[in-house]
Amino acid sequence: MNLRPIHSAIGIAALALLSALGGCKHSQGGSTTTRTASFPSDDLIGAVPLGQVAGEPARVVTALSIDDPYHDNRQAIQQGKQLYISMNCAGCHAYNGKGNMGPDLTDAEWRYGGLPIQIYETIRDGRPQGMPAWGATLPPDEIWKLVAYIQSLGGTVSVSDYEHARQGDQPGEQVAPEAQADAQFAPTTPIFPASIPDTTQKPSSSPTPAKPGNRKP
Amino acid sequence: MTALSYPSRIKFACSVVLITAISSCTRPQLPVSESRPYEGASGRVTGATLNSAPNDPAGEWRSQAHDYANTRYSTLDQINTENVAKLRVAWTFSDGTLNGHEAAPLVVDNTMYVVTPFPDILYALDLTRAGEPIKWTFKPNPAPMAKGKACCDTVTRGVAYANGKLIYNLLDDHTVAVDAKTGKEAWRTKMGNVETGETMTMAPFVVGNKVLVGDSGGEMGVWGWIAALDVNSGKELWRAYSTGSDQQVRIGDDFKPFYARMKGKDLGTSTWPADMWKHGAGSVWGWISYDPQLNLIYYGTSNPSPRVPDQRPGDNLWTSTIFARDADTGMARWAYQTTPHDRWDYDAVNEDILMDLPINGQVRKVLVHLDRNAYGYTIDRVTGEVLQAAPFAYQNWSTGFDMKTGTPIVDPDKEPHPNVKLVNVCPPDIGGKDWQPSAASPRTGLVYADIFNICMDVTDIEASYIPSSPFDGMDMKRYPAPGGNLGEFIAWNPVTGKKVWGIKEIYMTMSGVLATAGDVVFYGTADGWFRAVDARSGKVLWSQKLGSGIIGQPITFLGLDHRQYIAISAGVGGAATVRADEIALRPYDFPAGGNTLYVFSINGDSMSSGPGQMTSKDNVSTTQPETGNGTQH
Repeated sequence: MNLRPIHSAIGIAALALLSALGGCKHSQGGSTTTRTASFPSDDLIGAVPLGQVAGEPARVVTALSIDDPYHDNRQAIQQGKQLYISMNCAGCHAYNGKGNMGPDLTDAEWRYGGLPIQIYETIRDGRPQGMPAWGATLPPDEIWKLVAYIQSLGGTVSVSDYEHARQGDQPGEQVAPEAQADAQFAPTTPIFPASIPDTTQKPSSSPTPAKPGNRKP
Repeated sequence: MTALSYPSRIKFACSVVLITAISSCTRPQLPVSESRPYEGASGRVTGATLNSAPNDPAGEWRSQAHDYANTRYSTLDQINTENVAKLRVAWTFSDGTLNGHEAAPLVVDNTMYVVTPFPDILYALDLTRAGEPIKWTFKPNPAPMAKGKACCDTVTRGVAYANGKLIYNLLDDHTVAVDAKTGKEAWRTKMGNVETGETMTMAPFVVGNKVLVGDSGGEMGVWGWIAALDVNSGKELWRAYSTGSDQQVRIGDDFKPFYARMKGKDLGTSTWPADMWKHGAGSVWGWISYDPQLNLIYYGTSNPSPRVPDQRPGDNLWTSTIFARDADTGMARWAYQTTPHDRWDYDAVNEDILMDLPINGQVRKVLVHLDRNAYGYTIDRVTGEVLQAAPFAYQNWSTGFDMKTGTPIVDPDKEPHPNVKLVNVCPPDIGGKDWQPSAASPRTGLVYADIFNICMDVTDIEASYIPSSPFDGMDMKRYPAPGGNLGEFIAWNPVTGKKVWGIKEIYMTMSGVLATAGDVVFYGTADGWFRAVDARSGKVLWSQKLGSGIIGQPITFLGLDHRQYIAISAGVGGAATVRADEIALRPYDFPAGGNTLYVFSINGDSMSSGPGQMTSKDNVSTTQPETGNGTQH
């Protein structure tokens, strides 16, 4: 079986992702990374698959490495917490995030992935077992604030582990020689967008969270 | 003494036992305390009678409650106080699902029917063949979305049998009837829209040619209802909402509530702020009972939504209310609201056991209702008058009961308000007892119940109604009430309103109860102990640790071999595991989920147990199951 065409297709896609991010490029610690201060585009987010990429078992999809622009932004985390309560997230996932009707958001178990971009997609698009899709109700910056709040609860997967989470790798574990990554399928350049600092004023962000039209008193 | 000193108590108990028999230490019974009599309580009620209609065959178990009166009492007496200690496992059945197992299996015509939590699979087990093989499997394929809309785990409380059909509710708001012989779907009726947050978890209840069903979703802002469907066609005959206009609630001229508070026009709207009743819940997810002489059904409605009382000033009728309705027309005859303006999510969905009791020299037709609000009510089921109301579990939300108005007196210090942390409210939202049904015995006149001993700290947070999401607003933490134990199994005297005896359990007691003519009562614990107790003395006669925690309902039946069997599902979940990490005193040994039905007999004897090969021609019926559709095995 000739995998080359698939390789090429994904290579082109990865290039497209990098250009979609725009932003500045700079060198860090000898490896080239890409940083941006803007929100990831829909095209970029759309390139994150929910499942494994067929035909390339060891390949990591680079778009998974997109971090939440509000990661560790205390102001955004606080706004995310308010959204978490006002949008009734707490009704399912509990006020402490430990889950009731919906899953625990503070543990290491993530049905649809615990990377920031995966959590973003889950909130935006919903999931089949009852999670509503909030993309029509909340703008991207508010969803990212929710992601930042969930990240602050401590149970998500760090973006720097984007290559590992899929295979259940844990920090500090040992790796048998035979389980080392195949050089042929080495990951492409990761994307680590720059964080938005606390002082950043986003035009779309408001002091109070958005409310849906049919909100009751 | 508190249960926190439990390990040292066990050590102490063993050291005492060591003096007499070392082996006793290897058979720990593990209640926190041995049965303790309560002071001033009469040990039995003489002259109590229970109506066993519809008088199903004694060896079968055709409905969750076994009879219209919801007694869960069996006349079988092979297993009694003398021999119950010889109970052993005869056979088991694993259904392949996890989540909470709250349903009782049914036994009809030498077939056992076992329903699972979501995806609500129904199994028929052939009790005429060794090994009880699967006769057919019915997979209804409910919508996965329902899993995320059910407040308290993806449970079902069981199946009803009528006219050769097994009828039950799917979590995604469909009621289905399955042909008992073939396992084929007879009809399916869509009762609601799961996308609104509505689910169905209760067990249907059959009266004549009508099957009664109701919805769940007291935390989702649903509009609660009960409905009657035709048993043979599944066609809806009537639906009565729990809030709204008198017409919507099916209140007419013959509605005669006993208390003034419940008299008036359209109280289902006027006791709410404008339009709040439309998402005011009052779902019907508990038990229904029926008096064939009065032709009345009895059931309770859930808490009001949202669970932030300051958002809905008023009594919020007809939530947290017991209804008596005409079984044919669904028209309300009387109603009694147990917790007006329910601030704590106390509901009124717990079972109503119909008993005829001697009270003040007169035999009264009553219903006995141990409410989540911790009051045990004895109510005249003809008129709705409260004859007796007294706490059966630890509570502090109420300072007393006003018999004149039929209203508990609320302690204003225990009223939650938004953004104020209120500490030590007892019982918590899950009550002094939840849905887990009690049993009654005509031989003692007592009611046997699994109750809770739990409190909470609660902070109300104003909630918005956003379709698809919860309409809730209760941030709480639960913990054991004074005494330290989370559970207790009690005998309750419904005439005096007093506990007769109780067995305290370290973990929650959240199973159904079975009472038998052998004067043995059965219950289970959330940490997996299944126990048999002397119905009179409360002495624990036998215990067996099962593979998971028990929140199912025990039943008893006769096998083809005329032996008496006891059956119970082990599979913890439901509200027993909601915040289990917070309320578990010993979280390290709280059991994981499970899915095993255990069947017990004296010495474990059955045609599926014992020495040798069990499937030879000599000891097995060779009857083949009828062939049907592709779901047949």
